Amino acid sequence: MKADKKARLAALPASQRSLGANFRKYWPYYVMVLPGVVYMIVFKYIPMLGSVIAFQDYSVYEGILGSKWVGLKNFIQLFTYADFKKIFVNTLVLGAYKIIFVFPIPIALALMMNEVRQEKLKKSIQTAVYIPYFLSWIIVAELVFDFFGANGIFNQIRGMLGMQPILIMQQSKYFRLVYVISSIWKEAGWGTVVYIAAISGIDQSLYEAAQIDGASRWQRMTKITFPLLIPTIVTLLLLNIGSFMDLGFEHVFSLLTPMTYSTGDIFDTYVYRVGILQAQYSITTAVGLFQSVIGLVLVVFFNNLSRKISEDGGLW
Amino acid sequence: MVGMKTGKRKAVLGDRVFGLVIMTALCIIAIVALVPLLSVLSLSFSSKNAVNMNAVTLFPVEFTLASWKCIFARSDMWRSAGITLASTAVGTVLALLITATMAYPLSKKEFRLSHIIMVGVIITMIFKAPIVPYFITMRSIGLYNNPLVLVLPHILSAYNLAVMRTFFMQFSKEIEESAMIDGCGPFRTLFKIVLPSSKAIIATIGLFYGVVFWNQYQHPLYFIQDTRLYPLQMKVRQFINEGTELQTLAVKANVNYTDRSLKAAIVVFAILPIIAIYPFIQKYFEKGAMLGSVKG
Repeated sequence: MKADKKARLAALPASQRSLGANFRKYWPYYVMVLPGVVYMIVFKYIPMLGSVIAFQDYSVYEGILGSKWVGLKNFIQLFTYADFKKIFVNTLVLGAYKIIFVFPIPIALALMMNEVRQEKLKKSIQTAVYIPYFLSWIIVAELVFDFFGANGIFNQIRGMLGMQPILIMQQSKYFRLVYVISSIWKEAGWGTVVYIAAISGIDQSLYEAAQIDGASRWQRMTKITFPLLIPTIVTLLLLNIGSFMDLGFEHVFSLLTPMTYSTGDIFDTYVYRVGILQAQYSITTAVGLFQSVIGLVLVVFFNNLSRKISEDGGLW
Repeated sequence: MVGMKTGKRKAVLGDRVFGLVIMTALCIIAIVALVPLLSVLSLSFSSKNAVNMNAVTLFPVEFTLASWKCIFARSDMWRSAGITLASTAVGTVLALLITATMAYPLSKKEFRLSHIIMVGVIITMIFKAPIVPYFITMRSIGLYNNPLVLVLPHILSAYNLAVMRTFFMQFSKEIEESAMIDGCGPFRTLFKIVLPSSKAIIATIGLFYGVVFWNQYQHPLYFIQDTRLYPLQMKVRQFINEGTELQTLAVKANVNYTDRSLKAAIVVFAILPIIAIYPFIQKYFEKGAMLGSVKG
């Protein structure tokens, strides 16, 4: 890395090696990046530095500089909270559900769509399954609440089959199911785009050869298309595991009711309720920092793993 | 010989059945994907009686515009729609401007800071600051209860920046150099030469920004207390969470709507613009999702 940088510098003309000379020659570039850099400092880096209040007894009146430092007190307190264990488990379980039940769906959908030969029909199907992706979570949540409501379609169907209505949204045992279903409904369709792009890059002569050898369409799908998709699948899977803790505040929050806290309350929703609404800043910053650090470790680890497995893998 | 022929015929038949099964399954999936939307649309056009009898599934029953008239008559709905529309329009333009002007120098080898700034961008992608210090920062710079909070926090996305930078890196060096020789500085080269021939990527990234602004919900929830400043998504949430307002509207004897049909009309009101323009812009979205290699 360092040698690389030195080599790059040496390759530049003398006038550009020092920052000052570079600025004099290319000052418009410096002006151009300025708004973006200011944005990043204000909206990303200052809040990052503000995380130090996790180690303070932060008070709004004293500010960060005036508040008392308490070391790890907030973290120690945190780990002894009964609530903490609950939200940690809920976050892990929802994250695992998302990978186990939601992740495979777009793969199956993309493989199926690839088998539709009528272009017009294929386009219509794509349009239909993509639309939910562009709705906000609060809208999706309202659709879900209505769908599973006492008079919603779900209970209408149950009624037709002679079954008693169930109030899905008010029972904590169904929350995770609702989370998975709503994820699939909103995002699985759109998730196919990447796989369809990967499939379109497959060499057509492979299929022609297989067809001459008498392979059926099912065999061509399972023996050619699917195996060639595996690198893409692995890359996306690793990236997904890396962003494991990122369950989507808007998603969970808009589906959550006090009746479903026991299974649906996660880090993000807890921090909002206790940190923002009840103004317990220090302890909830400790929760957030704990989550960010785990998130960071996971992202870096799985990103490196995915880079090791395939050259194109990884975000950076 | 004969055996082989029947074998082949069997295979063809098998393939046909296979194709048919998949097509049917996909059609069912597509319909299921649309059912909640159709249901909410039909509810908004159905009569009080039909909704209360629970007779509405996929088509309006006893068609009426009553719910829609009630929603359209509310000035607060229009106000929220106006706020959402304005923040989406201003935000998207501003975001494109800032993303493009920042991505351009970052795509240039001559720019000494490009490497270190990209590292800074990637760090923000992998380490997310906890929300509480973010909240405190926003408050201290005066964005609490300020409509600017609907715009400023989203004017730069690291992902879009990386995509645009990669695109600029692939832009023809000869064209740019000839512009430079003609006396264009970096600003004029970017705005007069590079951007006009990057319309497709600008449209794509602009649409992704637009959807973010239109659908945003976390920021107004955190930062906007004044209900007069609510964007559409918060208005939807307000009506749904505090159902009492709709119920008091709907208990009047002479009306032809219920709180459920009103909710449905509000939801359709909020998603209509996206659904209406969606078919025309679908290809840009698909292109955007495939703008693969974004590495720094």
